[in-house]
Amino acid sequence: MSPHSLFRFFLLSLLVISLACGQPKPPTPGRLSPQEFERTPWETILQQAQGTTVNFAMWAGDEARNRYFQGPVTEKLKQQYGITLKIVPYNDTIEIVNKLLNEKGAGKTSNGSVDMVWINGENFRTAKQGAVLWGPFSERLPNVRLYPEAARQRDFGTPIEGYEAVWQYAQFVLAYDMARTPEPPKSIEALRTWVKAHPGRFTYPAPPDFTGSVFIRHVLLHFGGNPQAFQNGFDEALYQKAAGPTLDYLNDIKPFLWKQGETFPATPKELDRLFTNQEIDFSMSYGPTFASQRIERGEFPPTVRTFVFDEGTIGNYNFLAIPFNATNISGALTVMNHLMSAEHLLEQSRVLGSTYPHDISRLDAGQQAAVEALPRGPATLSPTELSSHLLPEPDAAYLDRLEKDWREKVLRKP
Amino acid sequence: MNGSIRKLRNLTAGLGIAGLATVPLGLLLLWSFARGWYWPALLPRSWSLRAWEYVFSSSSGVGTGLVTSLGIALIVTLVAVGMALPAARALAWHDFPGKSGVLLLLLLPVLSPPLAAAMGVHALFVRYGLTDSVAGVVLVHLIPTVPYTTLMLAGSFARFDPDYEAQARTLGASTFAVWRTVTLPFLAPGIAAAAVFAFLISWSQYLLTLLIGGGQVITLPVLLVAFQRSGDESVTAALTLVLVAPTILVFLVASRFLRGFSGQHKNG
Repeated sequence: MSPHSLFRFFLLSLLVISLACGQPKPPTPGRLSPQEFERTPWETILQQAQGTTVNFAMWAGDEARNRYFQGPVTEKLKQQYGITLKIVPYNDTIEIVNKLLNEKGAGKTSNGSVDMVWINGENFRTAKQGAVLWGPFSERLPNVRLYPEAARQRDFGTPIEGYEAVWQYAQFVLAYDMARTPEPPKSIEALRTWVKAHPGRFTYPAPPDFTGSVFIRHVLLHFGGNPQAFQNGFDEALYQKAAGPTLDYLNDIKPFLWKQGETFPATPKELDRLFTNQEIDFSMSYGPTFASQRIERGEFPPTVRTFVFDEGTIGNYNFLAIPFNATNISGALTVMNHLMSAEHLLEQSRVLGSTYPHDISRLDAGQQAAVEALPRGPATLSPTELSSHLLPEPDAAYLDRLEKDWREKVLRKP
Repeated sequence: MNGSIRKLRNLTAGLGIAGLATVPLGLLLLWSFARGWYWPALLPRSWSLRAWEYVFSSSSGVGTGLVTSLGIALIVTLVAVGMALPAARALAWHDFPGKSGVLLLLLLPVLSPPLAAAMGVHALFVRYGLTDSVAGVVLVHLIPTVPYTTLMLAGSFARFDPDYEAQARTLGASTFAVWRTVTLPFLAPGIAAAAVFAFLISWSQYLLTLLIGGGQVITLPVLLVAFQRSGDESVTAALTLVLVAPTILVFLVASRFLRGFSGQHKNG
């Protein structure tokens, strides 16, 4: 074959490849509009979902979680609803949101490759503003009534308005080692005293890291007075009042941080490593069960415990949403409602140690007893201890502003 | 005397280079079996097969990821070298108006920031319905690979005098025979090197695969990056080893192949 015909051959094969994948897929019956969903009985949705495939975009960086969802959860969905669950793994939800925004820009309004996505906070706000979510739908899911009303109103201050369905619950905790620190500082002010008395033994991940960002928001809420006030949109006067002392506090402890505050760990993973290497005495996480899991995996010593601040720690829910161009909407609705059921969440809490998210008083007596009987890891606080110290997540606009001010007035301050 | 010093020096240098290459791999191997490894312990305190059990379990998706990665990388290598051969030949042997412009265009995908380029390409691929499929991922992997294969092969062609082909033809060889017995053997080391390059570039793609594959095409890097930020060092280490192993294999095979060819040239 001469080079010329070789070249022609490759051009031809490229053409064939592009034609083959340019073929539009046939429309599936699982697609319906929010108005149609409003009119359709739930039984019909379940029937439509029979025998379909649901693509679930899920953060896939946790081995135990992957095992559980690819194994028992997938089997259960197949058995109970005839649905094939396919996990679409991602590292950061923003990857999926960007993909959807790109698809919207390019006019791909149907046959999307993702039917449901695990989402919350800033990513939800971006997705909702970009109109890449299908809805409203969530208040029509049968199991949504098991969650407290407050969990169904706002996500980081962004009104939910039915565009995502509440799923799991997380609350900020700090970890310490009883063997090293018998009496951890349990308030923002006690922490200041402790840090100054133990130079180099405390630090936090640099915002905009998720965990570092929530740490500095605790300081903001502490100086802001009423945490509820941060819920209803951005208030410049309120921010000014709280941000001044917040930045002063962070600058006050800065010289006493690890490496004199000249550098910060970039991720919670690095913070965990400093903690296990005994360079610092505290780690922190959005997952109340993280320390117990690390102990079980042998990553933390068995003497590690967790605590919350006396003034409370920030908790939030995470959610499930449907992309605007999802292919199998009735399938996604069915899977969501199952994942939101007491049956599933009890099992998930047993297998993964997740915090049980429902309003317990809305469950029947048998389910309530089952929740009470859930096993807890050695380092995990009780549900009552956590819920009695719960602070609501401030509006996402405060988050952006505080991260920016931290960068300019704390990080870059000599 | 002088010779033995040189031998010693070579040996030390060799050991040093081997050490630089194997120490990180050795650490990864230790991590993949470690259960708890804290400062100041020099070695993990206890050992566990957890990470490897996970990697070999069906729920990790490593098996299918390996097959997908391998399939895509092989097709990309084949197509990238195939596309590069005529292009490199033209660039090396012919002068034509706008040649430097063509070179610039060819290099552009490598020179532009990957993220910006990827987002633009994604929008284009969505419009033409090329996303969420293996074929789309193969096409998009060609964007960063073809510039490398073309430039490397252009170098090989430049060292090859076109008169050899003409000579063979005056002796009565057909076009195909010339290609098979004269051009191809001369270019083979260059083709092998370009193929290794193309394979490795495709093998290590993450962002383009994720964007264009839309989560439907799950290669090894997609699985690995999901674990990178999780703090699970053992699984991350095990997955990294699974990702690195084939590249070492490809490299060893290629280096043997290259050595064989250069030897043949000397003897011939």
